[in-house]
Amino acid sequence: MSFSGLIKQNALISSQLSRGIQTSAILASVQSGRYKITPKRDRPLTYEMANPPHYIAHRKGWNSWNTSNLRGELRTAQCITEDAFIRKFMTGTWHSLVLSEVIIKRQFNHIRIAALIKQGISSRKMYFLIGYTEELLSYWLQCPVTLELQTITDPKDVIFKYI
Amino acid sequence: MQHLRRSVSSISYLNRSSLSRCTRFFATSTELEEKVEIPNYIQRSPTTILRALSQTVGFDPTAAHYKYHDDPYLIPLSNVGKRSFALAMESGRKSAKFIRQQHSNLFQHREADPPIEAFLPTKMYTIDSQVEISDLTTSIEHSHVSDAILVYALLKKNNVELTNDVKQSLLELLCFYNCEEPLEEDMIEERWFRQNQRLKERNRKTWKDNDTAEQLYYEIEPKTPQTYACIIRGMCKYYQVEKAYAIFQDCLANNIKLDVDCFNSILNVVRFIKESADLRWSVMLDLLKTMKEKGVSPNLGTLNACLNSISEMGSKNAKDYAIQIMTEFKNIGIEPSLASYYHILHTFCKDRGPVSHVLVDILNEIEGKEFEMRDIKDTMFFVTAMDVCRNHLYDLNLAKRVDAFLHFGENYNLIGDSYKESIYYRNYFTLLVQAEPFDKFMADYYHILVPHVYIPEPSVMEEILKAVEVTGAIDNIPLLWSHMICFEQISRDNLLALIVRIMLQNKPDLTIKTQENLKETFSHIAWDIWSKIEEKNELRSKPVVWTGKLLGDILRIICTSEDIDRASVIMEKLLNDQQKILGESDYIAMEDYVQLCITKKQPSKAIQCLQYCTEIGFNESKNLAKTICKGFTLDENHTRRVVRYAGESVIQEIEKEMQEESAAKNVTQ
Repeated sequence: MSFSGLIKQNALISSQLSRGIQTSAILASVQSGRYKITPKRDRPLTYEMANPPHYIAHRKGWNSWNTSNLRGELRTAQCITEDAFIRKFMTGTWHSLVLSEVIIKRQFNHIRIAALIKQGISSRKMYFLIGYTEELLSYWLQCPVTLELQTITDPKDVIFKYI
Repeated sequence: MQHLRRSVSSISYLNRSSLSRCTRFFATSTELEEKVEIPNYIQRSPTTILRALSQTVGFDPTAAHYKYHDDPYLIPLSNVGKRSFALAMESGRKSAKFIRQQHSNLFQHREADPPIEAFLPTKMYTIDSQVEISDLTTSIEHSHVSDAILVYALLKKNNVELTNDVKQSLLELLCFYNCEEPLEEDMIEERWFRQNQRLKERNRKTWKDNDTAEQLYYEIEPKTPQTYACIIRGMCKYYQVEKAYAIFQDCLANNIKLDVDCFNSILNVVRFIKESADLRWSVMLDLLKTMKEKGVSPNLGTLNACLNSISEMGSKNAKDYAIQIMTEFKNIGIEPSLASYYHILHTFCKDRGPVSHVLVDILNEIEGKEFEMRDIKDTMFFVTAMDVCRNHLYDLNLAKRVDAFLHFGENYNLIGDSYKESIYYRNYFTLLVQAEPFDKFMADYYHILVPHVYIPEPSVMEEILKAVEVTGAIDNIPLLWSHMICFEQISRDNLLALIVRIMLQNKPDLTIKTQENLKETFSHIAWDIWSKIEEKNELRSKPVVWTGKLLGDILRIICTSEDIDRASVIMEKLLNDQQKILGESDYIAMEDYVQLCITKKQPSKAIQCLQYCTEIGFNESKNLAKTICKGFTLDENHTRRVVRYAGESVIQEIEKEMQEESAAKNVTQ
């Protein structure tokens, strides 16, 4: 192989290495983000669940709002793992109360977390959990964290359809 | 901020002038001598833009305070709610902090560069820790009092030699906090909602004798003037006055140079040094003279300390003294703070003293000025001023001026804490509702401030209801009732009796549009009172005791809307729970009920009422029996029951009357 060929190949490899998720091959798009129909048609779906991923930015928004996936941005991997951690933390701390996806928005060093919450516990306990979640997550992520919750009286209100 | 506004206006001015210049240029080219004036550069802080932006956002009376979550379920509706929600959130924060400290090994990662200290767990010390001098200095820096004491003890145990500087800064920390761990700085809500303990314990010695602070003071050798000053100020702050005064006099005798704050703290506690007012005044004068001799120039703290001691002197001449001091300090150019005015108010407006209009003069002086915190008692001014307006002068216009002054600029920062704020508004509201026309009060104040800024306490609610009673503005009753439910005031007997009385005595006028549906609404409210209290009584261990009068009044209101089902429920309560009900109902309620039974054709219910009347022993129960007999065509069964409750004689009387009537009819025919 000629010298210039080698350089070309190296360039190809390095461009592959720095490629982001959004430019990688679509392998599992047939399955991911879609729900199977049940025989009895009794699986409840929220509006977000009812719309498959290709409707993102058309009928529904993203679950994580940040710029770390853009070319040249920092902390791509950390951002994804942190978001996964935040989602786990939210659904675990607000146990069986989170009725929607957990939306995570990052602006500068500020993380805002939004979710729909069932009115399953008294408002005072909710305030305790708000304070606890905000504080502990900010210790973990070492930046200001704000919760932006909406409460839902009846959990059935969020169900868009059954499949 | 004013700078910014000024510069903006000057820009527009420039544009205007240049425009006019242009036109003039085309008109006559000779007048070109006008110069462009470039304004001077104005120094701006990094937050200027933010402040400018924040000024564009006004006050929104429909929104809860921003510390609460903007969601109907999470917005507090009562004083208890406001307090518990905010404190619950802070308690969550505290738990998170606890977890971080418990598992501090898990929180050692550093995301930011340089690391942000506030997110990292603090170092924890035990009796076995290996400590260095740097540990002590950091503890002192972060005001961790108990840590500092522990580290200091450990260092001493290990015979580590400390420099006098470190010892001095530790002594300062201990004296400032009286060897107690202070409330952490970021616990904003706890500070806002806690009752200020220190002001409550104003006359009590809380200094810890022979604790670490004093031991440390004896250890420091050689002692510097700062060391003496530090211990004197600490002891004065926590009212260990005897020792402090002794050390102070030693210092004076040994010609040790004390600073002005040291004199201030002694001046502040003069009332503990001497007994009578005259002696105290002479001590104060002596102290001030000593300051002059020693070349210590006084400051605002001196002024406030003098005024404070004068206000608590209890002397007849206190007012003269206060004026003397004020003029003296004015002459040397010391601007008084709000605390000075608070002490003046305290001196001049005594509960049992003559009426003094000093507040008017004070407001003339300070109105339109922006104040910031310069003395710890600055926060006492607004609550005291409003108290004077209501209880001392009873002057609405003055109260409005005080309120305008409070909302001027950033002055609201000096309201103090939630307790002072609520007393301030309690006085303001009571004065408003008594002196202002009721409609204006509701439109301009109630609808705007309630419930997000202020929630009326039961006593204020009572005043409002009384105003409704006097003015007859009954269309406000539904709103007030729903607010009473929200504010958790429905178990107050006096409020319930009042609202029921208002509904009973003011018949809705059907010709007025706002009162068209009021009859129905009143009946609903009456039923609401009944059901809410019954519901509560089932849950509570200490139930609200029904009075017969209240039940009778509720019954009457329900009767006006001709709701026989609900009315009979209350009648049954009256009949069945007679032992638990205090007193008896009015007879007129019984009459109304029987009339309702007659229109609804319910003889057995009417007879039930008759039973109640005879059991209570109303004199008028015979008349009631007559009404029943005339109103219904009774069958045998019913007649027998009427006879049982009212006696045989009633029937005979009725028959007699009827015969007479028919006879009279025959005669006329």
